[in-house]
Amino acid sequence: MPARIQVLLGQMEADLAQGVVPLAIYNDPEIYALELERIFGRCWIFLAHESEIQQPGDYVLRYVGFDPWIVVRDEQGLIQVLFDSCRHRGTQLCRADTGNASHFRCPYHGWTYRNDGALVGVPNRSQAYKALDTEQWSLLRPPQVDSYRGLIFACLDASTPSLPEYLGDFRWYLDMHLGLTPGGMEVLGEPHRWLLDADWKSGAENFSGDSYHTQSLHRSIAEVGLAPQAPPLQFSARKEPHQHITECGGHATSVRRARDGEPGFWGYPPEVVQFFRKDGLSKEQFELASTTINTTGTIFPNLSLIHTSPTDDPHKPPAAYLSFRQWQPKGPGQMEIWSWVLAPKEASPAYKERAYKVAVASFSPSGNFEQDDTIVWHGIARSARSLFARKAGAKLNYQMGLESMSEARIVPDWPGPGVAYDSNLEEGVQRTFLRHWLREMSRG
Amino acid sequence: MKTSGALNEDLRLHHEALMFLVREAELLDNRDLHGWLAMLTPDIDYRIPVRVTRERAAAASEFSGTAFHMVEDWGSLKARVDRFDSEFAWSEDPPSRTRRLVGNVRVEPGETAAELSVKSNLLVFRAHGESAGNLLAAERCDALRRVGGELRLAKRLVLLDHTALPTHNLAIFL
Repeated sequence: MPARIQVLLGQMEADLAQGVVPLAIYNDPEIYALELERIFGRCWIFLAHESEIQQPGDYVLRYVGFDPWIVVRDEQGLIQVLFDSCRHRGTQLCRADTGNASHFRCPYHGWTYRNDGALVGVPNRSQAYKALDTEQWSLLRPPQVDSYRGLIFACLDASTPSLPEYLGDFRWYLDMHLGLTPGGMEVLGEPHRWLLDADWKSGAENFSGDSYHTQSLHRSIAEVGLAPQAPPLQFSARKEPHQHITECGGHATSVRRARDGEPGFWGYPPEVVQFFRKDGLSKEQFELASTTINTTGTIFPNLSLIHTSPTDDPHKPPAAYLSFRQWQPKGPGQMEIWSWVLAPKEASPAYKERAYKVAVASFSPSGNFEQDDTIVWHGIARSARSLFARKAGAKLNYQMGLESMSEARIVPDWPGPGVAYDSNLEEGVQRTFLRHWLREMSRG
Repeated sequence: MKTSGALNEDLRLHHEALMFLVREAELLDNRDLHGWLAMLTPDIDYRIPVRVTRERAAAASEFSGTAFHMVEDWGSLKARVDRFDSEFAWSEDPPSRTRRLVGNVRVEPGETAAELSVKSNLLVFRAHGESAGNLLAAERCDALRRVGGELRLAKRLVLLDHTALPTHNLAIFL
């Protein structure tokens, strides 16, 4: 690690306890290089949802950091994750984003692999590769692959704990989003992808629970009436029923509860709620789901979720949907956002179509919410690369909710895991992300 | 060989469609979004499908039938335009600087006698703030409907030449 970065991270260790964070970490080539190695090279990284590859041979091309991986359902129906690089000269085999293939053939010399990764074709083998042990030359795989409730992850480090251990207590919250119906959640259509000059951490942090920004950055949404279930008077002193769950294995989530008379279950209408079952969840999980109207959360490092019910038109009722979004690193101060829209598998085609339309109008490249997020995240990266930020060691304030800063208090009898705060006027969710980031970055 | 009468009719329709698209581009470049809304029919169907890279032999289209960057009706387009009127619509305040070039206009008879099927190519230069700007390229497949003697946009399918969009958001209309 460069000495300058060592000093910066060492100082951050002391500062973060006081809720202070160096601006430079949001756009620095050396920080970025270390992130690829220590975070994207060691953490469990989301690849795809199982519903995206339903039939044998269905594949999608996905990325861990910069590295392309073929995620494919083989002829036995098993999910395989294969490094997209021929074992002969290394070129990419799969040059499509998605498709269906029983085999992947290298265009260079014609080496051919079955969709379970086995090398099954080598041109001129009987003359040219008489002693070739094809079993030694199947496509490479990540040291660890696993899935949880349909979410497929890979990990490039064999010494990282298993996926269940890595997700840890956060599984309790994921269950709530993904396990309400027997069929689970299903991805609707191909993911959105767009490029943004901003640091990947800005998205991850925001979705861990930046409740504070909505009243300012997303104020236009309330004005036009596109979020009928958002609190009407956010600047007021009234305490909203809203909890922030911090320190949940490095992951964090923000849970806004239904007020009196409001529907729970994120605003799903009765035609969808009729499919929700108690038997897949604990009593406490079901109770929390049934009284929740909005959730955001981040699974460290770069997978976030939002479960919400805005609308695309103030004259039309809101529709609930779940979205997973991934903040993919694309260089210092640059990311590619990937976004998937999901709905309960059992919901009607008409409901899914409506929910998808509402999702596009709220969180997507054209989303009425997300358009505005892109502007401020770009601004962070712009400031972070400044000469001044580096020279002066400019620091940012992440102090909300620290002792004496706000009314936020730990909920003593919170039914779920993690440390829950009884107010959204706190930034412990974002400090959770940053503490975990710092721990991983400092770990040799 | 077309008769001169038929040729004149083709030229007239082509000119009319081209003038519609050029006028539309002018309104959008000048951010007269309410003026733009007035060029749409109340039953407008406006879609920008997600595009994915596929092998040439693949049976499925590169353009998704289920995933869209925008999938709009009049009400949702109106809500977007109304939002830009808010003083808190930060994505376009300060606004993007856009320059739309519309060309390769092709006019065919539409699905009904009142409609023209119009294809055009679109290149949009977009700069924002201090950014040097980027380009968005697309083919557009429109249905223009004659309403009270004037053309209105009734249907638009924007076929992008991008998989991952090279712009920070789609806070502009294509």
